[in-house]
Amino acid sequence: MVPASHRTQTHFLIDIAKRVFEGLLTAWIAVTLTFFALRAATGDPVSSLLSQGLATVEQAQALRTALGLDQPLTIQYLDFIAGLFKGDLGLSLYTSQPVDQIILQQLPSTAELALSGLISGVLLGFFLGTTAAWKRDHWTGKLASSLSGLSTSVPVAFIAILALLLVGMLGQQTTGNLNFLGYSGLLPALVLGITTAGPIAKVIESGLIESLQSEYIHAAMARGYQKDLRLLWHALRPALPPVVSLSALEAAYLFSGTVVTETVFSRPGLGRLLLRSILEGDFPIAQGLVVVAAIFYTLSHLGADLIAMLLDPRLRDTT
Amino acid sequence: MNKAGCTFKPPILLILAALLLGGCAAQADPHRKLIYGLTLSPSGIDPHINASAELGIPLRSVYDTLIFLDPVTGEFVPGLATAWSISEDGKRYTFELRDDVVFHDATPFDAAAVKANIDYVLNADHHSQKAAALLGPITSVDVIAPDVVVFNLEEPFAPLLDSLSQVYLGMASPQALERWGASEYQFHQVGTGPYRFVEYIPNDRILLERFDGYDWATEIYREPHAGYREIEFRFFEDLATRAIALESGNVDILGEIPPMDAQRLSSSGEFSMHPVPIPGQPLQYLFNTKNEPTDDVRVRTALIHAVDRQMIVETVFMSTSPVALGPLSAEGFGHLLSTNQLAYDLTSAQELMREAGWIADQEGVLRDKDNTAMELTIIAPSWGSNPDVAQLVKVAWEALGAEVTLQIAPGFGPLREAQASGNYHAIGINFFGTDPDILRPMFTSTGLYNWSGYANNELDNSLRLAAQSSLDPVQRQRLYQKSIEHITTQALVLPIRDYVNLVIADNDIAGLRYSAPGWFPLLIELKPTS
Repeated sequence: MVPASHRTQTHFLIDIAKRVFEGLLTAWIAVTLTFFALRAATGDPVSSLLSQGLATVEQAQALRTALGLDQPLTIQYLDFIAGLFKGDLGLSLYTSQPVDQIILQQLPSTAELALSGLISGVLLGFFLGTTAAWKRDHWTGKLASSLSGLSTSVPVAFIAILALLLVGMLGQQTTGNLNFLGYSGLLPALVLGITTAGPIAKVIESGLIESLQSEYIHAAMARGYQKDLRLLWHALRPALPPVVSLSALEAAYLFSGTVVTETVFSRPGLGRLLLRSILEGDFPIAQGLVVVAAIFYTLSHLGADLIAMLLDPRLRDTT
Repeated sequence: MNKAGCTFKPPILLILAALLLGGCAAQADPHRKLIYGLTLSPSGIDPHINASAELGIPLRSVYDTLIFLDPVTGEFVPGLATAWSISEDGKRYTFELRDDVVFHDATPFDAAAVKANIDYVLNADHHSQKAAALLGPITSVDVIAPDVVVFNLEEPFAPLLDSLSQVYLGMASPQALERWGASEYQFHQVGTGPYRFVEYIPNDRILLERFDGYDWATEIYREPHAGYREIEFRFFEDLATRAIALESGNVDILGEIPPMDAQRLSSSGEFSMHPVPIPGQPLQYLFNTKNEPTDDVRVRTALIHAVDRQMIVETVFMSTSPVALGPLSAEGFGHLLSTNQLAYDLTSAQELMREAGWIADQEGVLRDKDNTAMELTIIAPSWGSNPDVAQLVKVAWEALGAEVTLQIAPGFGPLREAQASGNYHAIGINFFGTDPDILRPMFTSTGLYNWSGYANNELDNSLRLAAQSSLDPVQRQRLYQKSIEHITTQALVLPIRDYVNLVIADNDIAGLRYSAPGWFPLLIELKPTS
């Protein structure tokens, strides 16, 4: 007979394998949808490529042939999938550069922004959420709660422009130059953090309020525990797994959803790359980004599940 | 309470800013590099391959061209070619070249370099998006001597000299082209111009450095040597934050500023406004002559009469650009336009509609004899001020009694797709250029952009002939005048305004002037005022 712990471990591995398979399936569906949706929505990229006029019908046809766009759609699709298995995302229609190279070039900037945005968002979210729950009957708690509500509802573009204006005004009033704030990534990260903090704070707030009302906390307080950090930690632990899942979601969202921040702060990154490749019909880049995003989503969810299991033994037992 | 919420955030930022300020306050540097803002980040910036107008803003000064177009006189003047001649049949162009020019990588410039450039552009594997089309019916380039090169054409092609004056046919070092190939060359560009290409980081920046060996400035440059040592180009794609970027000192020169911001900034005393006219087609709507009711010239004419273009220019552009006179801008093409254009005249519009069989019912809705209401669809691109303008056109046509649907296409692909469906009566599209040949793709029956669906032998012939009459400028001018008159009489296009790029520059900068195509600054002439 297999010992119980081994059985759990096997289950655990099967579960991971299942998740990876699901992730691959999702990625395949996403990529296929993108492949056809892009072509249906944005039409013939050759007209975008030649959008500065002057070309003749013959020249347009020659370019279409050179780019392989005159092939039947099914052939183009099979070529693309075959390329994926070889790790080849294709070439940009505009520059003939390998797509993976283009994505890798823009990735660090987005990763930096998403990561710093996530960190500041989680920190700010924790601060607001715990304050809101812990000081629930005090004005500071009420303030924290309404601030997190505000951060959820105000669009990121608005906060970003406000922040830029503020720094611009400060820069004019002082002798110093504050431009480095915008370019160094500090300001964009803060802006992104503010918008990420809201949902995290709300989840912490509700989880914490619930556990503060639970029997074990009441019992602990009855035994003479003070309402201090130690108690906060005990109360916080059951509230953490949903926060981790949410952070993973937010991370995935930030990874692809930085387009507004990138545009307002004139930063390079994947968000702008994606937007432009869709608008200009540079299909290989858009497809490549969807592949990368799908992989990232799968990994971040898998990671979140693992961390949640580590944090909450109950989840380990049930799998 | 939200009031508390509002007063909470600023102190945090203030404290943060103050803390950082203490450590890192930067002093104003008189020898600082110039920062020039680009308003979109092109997909690729090899001018021989990519087509964006934005790439020319930095690269016009990295490359010299065989000839230059003088922005003041409109004449072609020598560049890397000292003289040129055209054979009598118009199929052979001979260029004599300078022999004292070297590329930034020390490769000498000669006839073989010219041939290498043209071959690079025409190589089908390089997918040239504009330069190849600019070369027209060119078949081959022959090196006759180190300083003599001949272009052979299949048929005469009058726009060739204009093409050769454009940055898209700027002369690149053959060694660099060979070494990097079409996919990498955009990151390692080498020309013979007053500025040397240092680096390009997509979506981030392009950096140029003065080329100190520059000793062959064309006569259109008023300064023989560049004033700024370094010029950095950054991308400011967000319309709403362009003014902020200028005010906070993040950028020194920036174009495509919204009119209201431009007027505010220029009245602040720190900035000056430079309205730069862009030659080419105005912001315009082409009528679809294949669909009812715009297949009827009377309806088209009525729809033009119904639009108060002066009011649109005042409302949307705050009178910063002129009302368009025809299918080409007054800038560069004034001599081709007749002044008697279709004016705002509601009475004539109603009269023409009646003639065409569209009678307004009691509610003012135009109906034909079958009692069908007039329905019109406008497709407008999302860029420029097209959505605002199209909205006002829609209102004007509704006032006349039509039911109007407005669709905004978010990019060129979607615009092309909407066009391909054929379900429209008017569509916004325009191209820029310094040669009137830009009319040909749009108004000849087989043109790639014949989105009005208009097909007329007479117009086809005059536009084709005009493109070929390379030896007789007077005949060429007459043919274009005739074509434009045809386009206007047939009411194929509703022109709104000539394009003006509103550039705002810091007052610390002197000498801002633009090349003939409008977009591209003559960077060599820029210098600090102090």
